[in-house]
Amino acid sequence: MSQFPALHRAEVAVAERPGVGIAAPPAVVQGRRQRPPRPFDRPRFLSLFTALVYVYLFAPILVVVIFSFNSKRSTQVFGSFSLTWYRQLLNDSGMIASLTASIEIAFITMVVATALGTLLAFGLVRARSRANRPTDVLMLTNLVSPEIVTAIALLLVFTQLGLTLSLTTVILGHITFSIAYVTIIVRGRLVTFNTEVEEAALDLGATNVQAIRLVTLPLLWPAVIASALLVFVMSFDDFVTSYFTSGVEVAPLPVRIYSMIHFGVTPEINAVGTLMMVITISIVLLALAVYSRQQRARLAFLAE
Amino acid sequence: MSANRLWRLLLAPGAVWLLVLFVAPFGIVVAVSLGTQDFIGRVHFGWNFENYQSILDPLYYPILLRSAIYAVETTGLCLLIGYPVAYTISRFGGRYRNLLVILIILPWFADYLVRIYAWFVILGDDGVVNGLLHFVGLPGNPPVIFLNRPFAVVGGLVYDYLPFMILPIYAALDRMNPALIEAGKDLYGSPAQTFLHVTWPATIQGVIAGAVLVGLPSVGDFATAQILGGTQTFMIGNLIQDQFTGAGDWPSGAVLTIGLMALLSVMMIFYLRSTSRPADLMS
Repeated sequence: MSQFPALHRAEVAVAERPGVGIAAPPAVVQGRRQRPPRPFDRPRFLSLFTALVYVYLFAPILVVVIFSFNSKRSTQVFGSFSLTWYRQLLNDSGMIASLTASIEIAFITMVVATALGTLLAFGLVRARSRANRPTDVLMLTNLVSPEIVTAIALLLVFTQLGLTLSLTTVILGHITFSIAYVTIIVRGRLVTFNTEVEEAALDLGATNVQAIRLVTLPLLWPAVIASALLVFVMSFDDFVTSYFTSGVEVAPLPVRIYSMIHFGVTPEINAVGTLMMVITISIVLLALAVYSRQQRARLAFLAE
Repeated sequence: MSANRLWRLLLAPGAVWLLVLFVAPFGIVVAVSLGTQDFIGRVHFGWNFENYQSILDPLYYPILLRSAIYAVETTGLCLLIGYPVAYTISRFGGRYRNLLVILIILPWFADYLVRIYAWFVILGDDGVVNGLLHFVGLPGNPPVIFLNRPFAVVGGLVYDYLPFMILPIYAALDRMNPALIEAGKDLYGSPAQTFLHVTWPATIQGVIAGAVLVGLPSVGDFATAQILGGTQTFMIGNLIQDQFTGAGDWPSGAVLTIGLMALLSVMMIFYLRSTSRPADLMS
């Protein structure tokens, strides 16, 4: 709407002064005021519905968390509070190996994908080259491609090249789907501050590299960190790509959970699920905090 | 200018990575889809276009249809649930709006498999709901079989992807000038009329974006149908998974993968066309 300030003002004027512009007698306006509130004016029904949707979104997660502390094996009866399943988890060497593998995968993916994605964002925003547009399309296609398709494609490449499926192939797969997310987040920030600040640094005698290191990167860090944390979480949680590209040695955590579910429900899954949620949700909250701090910093920067 | 050379150089690593591990793999999928597989599982490349007939196999056809139906149902349900939620947050959320939006996304960051598994715990034969029903005194063991039914799979898919519907609709409502709604009412439009003629057209872009974000991944989903469903509810994703794990037939799997890709591309093109049209009208 902001492109049309005149139109916008007209809308506001109409909205604020009912009856103006319409040849309506004052009595009608009076009558409108006295009419009982209509159901859609009052958000009672909508609020209730929305509250129920929030319950629907959180209930399954709470069930998993609650039953992870159950002393009994059942998912119907809650015995008493106990850490039995967490203890069992700690003694399950296979599970610990999967957890370690998943963290390792997520960490390496985070480092490599953040580096590649940030460089790509710089290239796409700053370079004047015929390769820009095709690269942009390539990245966006990668972003919207369904994961099962890209995962199968990777599986076929790895097997045709004669590579043994392992944690390395999982990492290669995760980096591939993560790059685009980093590029989009970092690029989103990069286009918001203009090159003038960098040019000012150049005028003051800084080299290109110095200008980027001392001026651009400090402005960009929060976006880079937020996207890195997001990549960590997505890699840590990823099932589809991990499932098709992992080998027989150690299964990443989601893949292990998948095969455990096949053998039926064990409360150990509740415990490991809760543990994963604690890890991912705290990282997401951290990313949100970094990102919103940056927003505020940017506003302060612009205000100066 | 040397700076431009530096920037162009930065394009290279990411672009090369995507070419090698994203584009080239698709070439291999196409090659495998035209190949044959010998009895020890090695793929021999060739030009066997007859492989593509398998997609019309009467064995596959109902599964493909079912995937499309489940995806449409999932998208429709997400819209029915998601629109009122987005509307409520946007119009009545007040200063809690950002918090409410974060709370919509937060559960999604619980691991994908754990979220599906949670529904297994709730709806399973020995699950929470059946426990309650048994406690209330319903006969049968279990009182109600929820799993292995279409609604369990569609319900699971709705749970998986609902935030993807709410967020774009919320963004569209957020961009919309609320004074428009007031104006509609001041012109004596009923709430229903105001919604239909003002709010809905102003937010249709968000709805379409949400439909794509929900529809695309739910067509290709396989873990939901695997865990909450059975062979009666298998989707194209399960079919593809079957071909590539265990004693599957890789060329057929590759054909199905390309079929899925084609289906999704059609949806994507529809989406891109529908988003570009209003822009054309504006200029």
